[in-house]
Amino acid sequence: MNVLIVEDEISLANEIALFLKSENFLCDLAHNGREASEKIAVNLYDFVLLDLGLPDYNGLDLIREAKGADSDASFIVITARGAVEDKVKGLDLGADDYLAKPFALIELLSRINAVARRKFNIGNQDIKLGDFVMQVQYRKLICNEEEVDLTKKEYDLLQYLVLNHDKVLTRQQLYEHIWGNILDDQYDSNFIDVHIKNLRKKLNYYAPSPWLETVRGVGYRVAVNALSNNTPE
Amino acid sequence: MIRLKTRLALFNLLSKLAVTLLLIVFLPWVIERINLRHVDNDLVQKREQVISLIRRIGIYPFISSDTTIAFGSYNILKEEFISLERTILNEELNDIEVSDRMIEDEEINYRVLNYTIMVDGQKYLLEIGRSLKSIQSSEKNIYRVILVFLILVILITFIIDLQYNRFLLRPLGKITDKLKGISDPLSFDRTPVKTTTSDFYILDNALTELMRNIGELFEKEKEITDNVSHELLTPVSVLRSKLENLLIRDNLDQDISGKIEESLKTLYRLQSLVNSLLFIARIESRQYLMEDTFNLNEILKEVVGEIKPIAEDKGVIINEEMDQDYQLKAANKSLIFSMFSNVINNAVKNTSPGGDMTVKSYISGHYFNVTISDNGRGMSKEQIDKLFSRFKAKVSSQEDGTGIGLAIAKTIADFHKIVVSVTSEKEKGTSFSFIFPENS
Repeated sequence: MNVLIVEDEISLANEIALFLKSENFLCDLAHNGREASEKIAVNLYDFVLLDLGLPDYNGLDLIREAKGADSDASFIVITARGAVEDKVKGLDLGADDYLAKPFALIELLSRINAVARRKFNIGNQDIKLGDFVMQVQYRKLICNEEEVDLTKKEYDLLQYLVLNHDKVLTRQQLYEHIWGNILDDQYDSNFIDVHIKNLRKKLNYYAPSPWLETVRGVGYRVAVNALSNNTPE
Repeated sequence: MIRLKTRLALFNLLSKLAVTLLLIVFLPWVIERINLRHVDNDLVQKREQVISLIRRIGIYPFISSDTTIAFGSYNILKEEFISLERTILNEELNDIEVSDRMIEDEEINYRVLNYTIMVDGQKYLLEIGRSLKSIQSSEKNIYRVILVFLILVILITFIIDLQYNRFLLRPLGKITDKLKGISDPLSFDRTPVKTTTSDFYILDNALTELMRNIGELFEKEKEITDNVSHELLTPVSVLRSKLENLLIRDNLDQDISGKIEESLKTLYRLQSLVNSLLFIARIESRQYLMEDTFNLNEILKEVVGEIKPIAEDKGVIINEEMDQDYQLKAANKSLIFSMFSNVINNAVKNTSPGGDMTVKSYISGHYFNVTISDNGRGMSKEQIDKLFSRFKAKVSSQEDGTGIGLAIAKTIADFHKIVVSVTSEKEKGTSFSFIFPENS
């Protein structure tokens, strides 16, 4: 998939590109609004990652332009200004998602994938995890035709790990994803550990879950290699 | 509190009533005095006429011989009389008095002028009287007419005053209406109030100017927080991406990946600190809308539900005692969630394993109350004093977070006009109490 990264902070743009390339995206960079405007007019992109704080351009105008030119690109708006109106305006203008800086690269990827799932209707098939089956479409985890009773947070946590299988996710990344915008100071690395512990307890009641790994000193990972051939996405 | 308009009308009414009362009391007396003076003047005039008559034609047409000693005459309705008689009185008389006279078996109240006059070496007493009955009846009539007239005038002026006051004070009413229930200077209606009264004009102008200035300050603060946000968070963002990219490299030494994770954790702390400070600044510069209506117990239960797994893992029991629910209006739901979340989380952190805490809500008087109490380690008075100040609240250094959570909770409470108080006893526990304002 083609991604245009519109970001005036060059080293950040490079890091995002580096990360997305490793995920098999084709990346193009624009460091100011004029450049971005030209590239959007000429090329076909599946995604535009748009930093609203451009020096020469109101980022929101770029969305307007692109939508006016019937571009199919999905916009994911990025901003460090964090003003609530920016978010609302961006989404009103047809942006598909919104991320506040600083964000985890893995979060960016999962937002892109979520938009892609909606847009191309892919990745909604069931995912097999050992003896378990995750029905992404229905937000259910099944084991031997029995539904595993998970809380909303536990399910979200597991799905996030599953959709980003084979990647180590740090506790902060998980926390940020589950609890979203940090409106308070309650970050506690213990939160994730407790939820994983409870999750494992529930899973192990049905069947062993060796695929849910703890990576010492870093975080957690769902290892899909240990699963059968029905790989997600 | 009474409105100015009502006050003025009330004063107007009272002052007019007082004038009326005064008139009712003093008017008869005044009219009587005026009438008497008039009668007296009349009597004196008559006396002069009689005297000049006597001087001209002598006394004999009145008292003809030595046998008649007195002359008397009264008109047919006995309203006036005149009498002239010889007298042996020594003193000179010249006065006017009220006295009763018997005329043809009828006692009549007269105003009488007494006057002694010497004619041909003989002293005579002249009396001229005017009946007071007719005077009194005319007095009554005058009194009635004047009273009716005055009451009419007072009534009319009262109504005119009332209308004029209302008209005059209308701009002031509009100004107070603009200020009523205003919590945000940005929502102040800046259209000028139409008035020809300079005082109101000045007042309205000054208020508008003031509101504009405060609004501009808010705008400026918003701009500053936006810029600070951008300047601080962009480098964090760069660092974070770099570290995360490093961490996903294959074949990383476990030691190195651990170090990178630690760096990320530190960076995360910085990020969360910056975000917290910006969060407070944004609340204080009123960038959050107050448009949600929701039930407080629902929010409390949601917060407790989120924190319960952590508490249970630690061996802390959270008791919920919520009876009556309360619907909060014109508030920000996610801010209230954050407020409770910070305080309940703080309570869990400060409660030792095996301890328990209680989240209680109840209605007392007109107010909805929430108390969050624990039997944790408690605080000294000094600790309570700086509990809500930024950075100082951290009790132990082993905690995650930046120790700014309670400052956030306090800012949110202030923003919503919720009264927060803390009671605590060392080794016994701490209790936070929230008193919600009545919905306006």
